[in-house]
Amino acid sequence: MAISIKSYTEEWIPAVKAFNQRLATGGVPSEFHFPEKDVPSWLPKRDGRRIYQEFYLALEGQEVRGAFILKTQDFSVRGKIQVVAFYHLPISEGIINKRYSSVGVHMLRSATKAAPLLFCLGMGGFDRPLPQMLRAMGWNLHALPFYFRVLHPANFLRQIAPLRQTPGRRFLADLAALTGTGWIGINILQRFHAARHDQFTKTELVGRFGNWADELWERCHSHYMLIACRDSTNLNILYPTNKNFLCLKVTRDKEVLGCVVMLDTKMQNNRYFGCLRVGAIADCLASPENAGTVIQAATRFLEDRGVDLIVSNQSHVAWTEALKSAGFLKGPSNFIVATSKPLSQLIFPFESNQNQLFFMRGDGDGPVNL
Amino acid sequence: MTSPLFERVRGIAENVLKLPGSQITAQSSPETIASWDSVQHLNLILALEQEFGCQFEPEEIDQMNSIDRIHSVVQNKLNHGS
Repeated sequence: MAISIKSYTEEWIPAVKAFNQRLATGGVPSEFHFPEKDVPSWLPKRDGRRIYQEFYLALEGQEVRGAFILKTQDFSVRGKIQVVAFYHLPISEGIINKRYSSVGVHMLRSATKAAPLLFCLGMGGFDRPLPQMLRAMGWNLHALPFYFRVLHPANFLRQIAPLRQTPGRRFLADLAALTGTGWIGINILQRFHAARHDQFTKTELVGRFGNWADELWERCHSHYMLIACRDSTNLNILYPTNKNFLCLKVTRDKEVLGCVVMLDTKMQNNRYFGCLRVGAIADCLASPENAGTVIQAATRFLEDRGVDLIVSNQSHVAWTEALKSAGFLKGPSNFIVATSKPLSQLIFPFESNQNQLFFMRGDGDGPVNL
Repeated sequence: MTSPLFERVRGIAENVLKLPGSQITAQSSPETIASWDSVQHLNLILALEQEFGCQFEPEEIDQMNSIDRIHSVVQNKLNHGS
């Protein structure tokens, strides 16, 4: 078996379709199948953009045996701009045919060679094969903290899947919803933490990110040890006006304190959220001292829209503290950040610096799944 | 095949795959050993690299699809330097 890694070009589309068909026959869910178009629909490499995705294939002759995506973008690493890549959707024929067990290792090694400053995000839990491989290769891994705030406890108790996994739990959750004890309990927990609202803060829903976003980025990025570039160019690419993103500019006395990108999604039998209306804080930017103001503004905004629940994954300590101050509770997280050895070296010592990194859902493969 | 190098390779595979040496033969591969999945394949590669003080190229990793082939790649690597 001689595997070679090549860029995905149009001529390989039939081979990718055949690869996906073999995966499907082997029982691999379609969400793990590789795109059947050679040009990414999200973040294609064009127009001199500095944030883009590239598809790669692991080929054995004329057959596709694996594939992965590299999303490349500028990061500020200790205040210095560097190109960092996100390794995602690696899929190998090894998961259905052990003859190809080495393909996953080959792809990961090749990606690390091509882009040493590499990270992975998400991955579904530490026990999955990819995080295990990354750990074995000396990457640093930690779970991105998950926070939630319940605005409509009765709906939450009736819909949230993790609370309803057994008949006994379902009964108790329904009882708490029906009697109002759930409402009382959740509100006590959340209000115990909730800080007072800053009445001098103003918010404005914006369509596009203007020069103010560039100024904000320049002012903020060096406060974070590792943060993906969030200047106006990148934000306008990531959060275009024709999608359902809610982009809020937060100001006080005409000074822009920060911005936040949110989603307001009515779920339909979602495996975690049932049919709840979920508000997600997908992305944000502010200096650490203004994180609390921005999170409170986002929370009020989503609350006014009538969402049942607000969720957010944040890694930086200023933002996790901001969420706690706004009455958010911490939940279990299977959303993992992993940094390659060369990237980890730039943020050494990783253990004490991991809560200085700025990662959130928006840094992944798109906040579309929220 | 019972060269000292082969025995070292087999010993490493024993440790990584947590199997008695008697179950690991020259023909053993991911297809014949249930616990030899992609994660264990990586662990095996990393253990070999540590033992022999070398780093395998992705192209070499592709060839390492049985104990016999691993032995050949390691032998070649040691003969030609890493």
